[in-house]
Amino acid sequence: MKSRAFGIALISIAFVACGGAYAQQQVIGAPPEASNMKLVGYNDLQARSAYQPTIHHQGDRYIAYIGHHGGTDEIPDPVNPLTGKAEPNGTSIVDVTDPAHPKYLHHIPGQEGKYEGGGAQMVRVCDGKSLPKGDPNAVYLLRAVGSQGHEIWNVADPANPVLVTKIGENLKDTHKNFWECDTGIAYLVSGAPDWRTRRMTQIYDLSDPAHPQKIRDFGLPGQEPGSTGAVPTELHGMISTGPQGNRVYFGYGTDKGGIMQIVDRDKLLNGPKEPTAQNLRYPEISEMAMSAFNGAHTTFPMKDMPIAEFANDKDGKTRDIVMLVDEAILNECGEPRQMVWFADVTTETRPMMISSWTVPEASGHFCERGGRFGSHSSNESMAPVYYKKMAFIAFFNAGVRALDIRDPYHPKEVGYFIPSITAATDKRCVPVDGAQRCKVAIQTNNVETDDRGYIYIVDRANTGMHILELTGAARKAAGLP
Amino acid sequence: MRGLLIACGVMLCTLSGVAAVQHVRSGPSTAGSNWHEIAWPFPRDGWPAGRAFRCDASACGGEVELYVRPKIGFCNCDTGVADDDEVDRVADLDLMSRRFVPRETGKVIRISDMAGRARSYDLKMTDGSDHTAVGFALSHRCDLMVAVAQGEGTAEGVRRAAVEFLDTSDMTHWMSSALNGG
Repeated sequence: MKSRAFGIALISIAFVACGGAYAQQQVIGAPPEASNMKLVGYNDLQARSAYQPTIHHQGDRYIAYIGHHGGTDEIPDPVNPLTGKAEPNGTSIVDVTDPAHPKYLHHIPGQEGKYEGGGAQMVRVCDGKSLPKGDPNAVYLLRAVGSQGHEIWNVADPANPVLVTKIGENLKDTHKNFWECDTGIAYLVSGAPDWRTRRMTQIYDLSDPAHPQKIRDFGLPGQEPGSTGAVPTELHGMISTGPQGNRVYFGYGTDKGGIMQIVDRDKLLNGPKEPTAQNLRYPEISEMAMSAFNGAHTTFPMKDMPIAEFANDKDGKTRDIVMLVDEAILNECGEPRQMVWFADVTTETRPMMISSWTVPEASGHFCERGGRFGSHSSNESMAPVYYKKMAFIAFFNAGVRALDIRDPYHPKEVGYFIPSITAATDKRCVPVDGAQRCKVAIQTNNVETDDRGYIYIVDRANTGMHILELTGAARKAAGLP
Repeated sequence: MRGLLIACGVMLCTLSGVAAVQHVRSGPSTAGSNWHEIAWPFPRDGWPAGRAFRCDASACGGEVELYVRPKIGFCNCDTGVADDDEVDRVADLDLMSRRFVPRETGKVIRISDMAGRARSYDLKMTDGSDHTAVGFALSHRCDLMVAVAQGEGTAEGVRRAAVEFLDTSDMTHWMSSALNGG
């Protein structure tokens, strides 16, 4: 009897050690994994690796603009079926007015180069009529082009974009820009050749997109030209609350040594501009250093959030919250967990982390599935449908996760969707004893929402774009009918 | 049942065998060289601790310490170590002191199948003393192997001693293994 019990225990250990994980690997043809979210529509995005989707309500249409990484070793320049030509990955333009039947309209080629060495990852869109000096008939698309510069296109006719102008050249890198559509102020993640970091901020006045006006360069002291000593963590991106909020929240560090920097926007734009350490420090209100294990990919501000638990307190009933999302960069859990953090920044000079959230790894044996597991980014739309209520987190091989954030001290998952892989889904490899061991898994990279409540997720491993909606308890939590 | 038990036994033996191999591969041998391994002297940061070595003054013309570790996924896959700014950023000089000034333009360097740059610096330590250091950043696909050497001798002497040690077969084997999932 004892030996039988011992045998059962050994079998259990063996199952946990090697059995359960492989049962979770995705296979072509298997249905998506979902809870309180369902698929509405799909487009394959010409099997291009996707970064940022931006959904723009354009007249009576909804248009999705999707930035792409460069191509792969196997297919550096996928063929665009609309032109019949091989085109380096750039920007996909998809009409999603009917989300059940998205229609691919146009592909703007990007910079030659593979993976992060090419493409046109970032995209923001502003209407000409909202920009102070824009052509009221134009719709402007701002995109980062590969590592070398930025471009503005007129996409008033999204099937026939027209190049307006180019900004910057010979940069070391580009990345996650932000553009204020009511003022035209743009914060461009760039790598100015003379700065000591790959990524810093170049601020432009793009109120007249055809005539960009440089305002200043910005970064952390120690990154500026001519400085010496340790170089602070490079920039990842920023979000501005515009002239009304008068704050810009910068996120530095991708997966390590993150810093959230809170900056006075007015001082940033109108203060002394020479890139000295003193001038770079002038507009800063505070910096919050994160663990060396985590970076700040997305810094999403949510001011004046009522906290139910504090409703009867005489002070501090509402809190200013910033949601910080790290980016996982290594396959198969090769680094500390990258996840979601909530900081209470009500007292701006003393921001404090108040909660965190991650997908439980054991819920899907995600470290064994292949590719990256961990967070990457959140939706950035501030449309009332979800703002301060629900957040959507792209979690690579764990798909997209819907969080109820009405109490940011206790964020709670209410839904998820992990798309099926397809024949186009690219492999992800890790070195094992000198050889590459590869697996195929979904890699949900970025997510955005529109003002109707649809959720758009795009895949880094070439699987395309899935358009989703909430169902059940998640839909109820969001207050949707 | 018997078959399953045998399978479990094989699996457990395999796992323990893997662990044993990893233990054997955990560090390069310094037998026969003028260098000996010392404990990694720095607090935990964003990357796992690396390996630290010391060469006595009698052998290296002045005591030299070398700290070396991989930084996986921390290199531009296309351009590698493109310029001296990258050496400033990644070469772990800040583990010793955040205040350092380059002494010169860096030099292109190749060790085994890794290419990169090396640059010498003056370090101002927290106790006010001055040290000489040489930073190394070597790329391997999208990964980096970084090293920093500090010593009492000349920058050229520190650099030469460090390069000779990094280029030994034990070290190149260990670095290759560390970057290739060994």
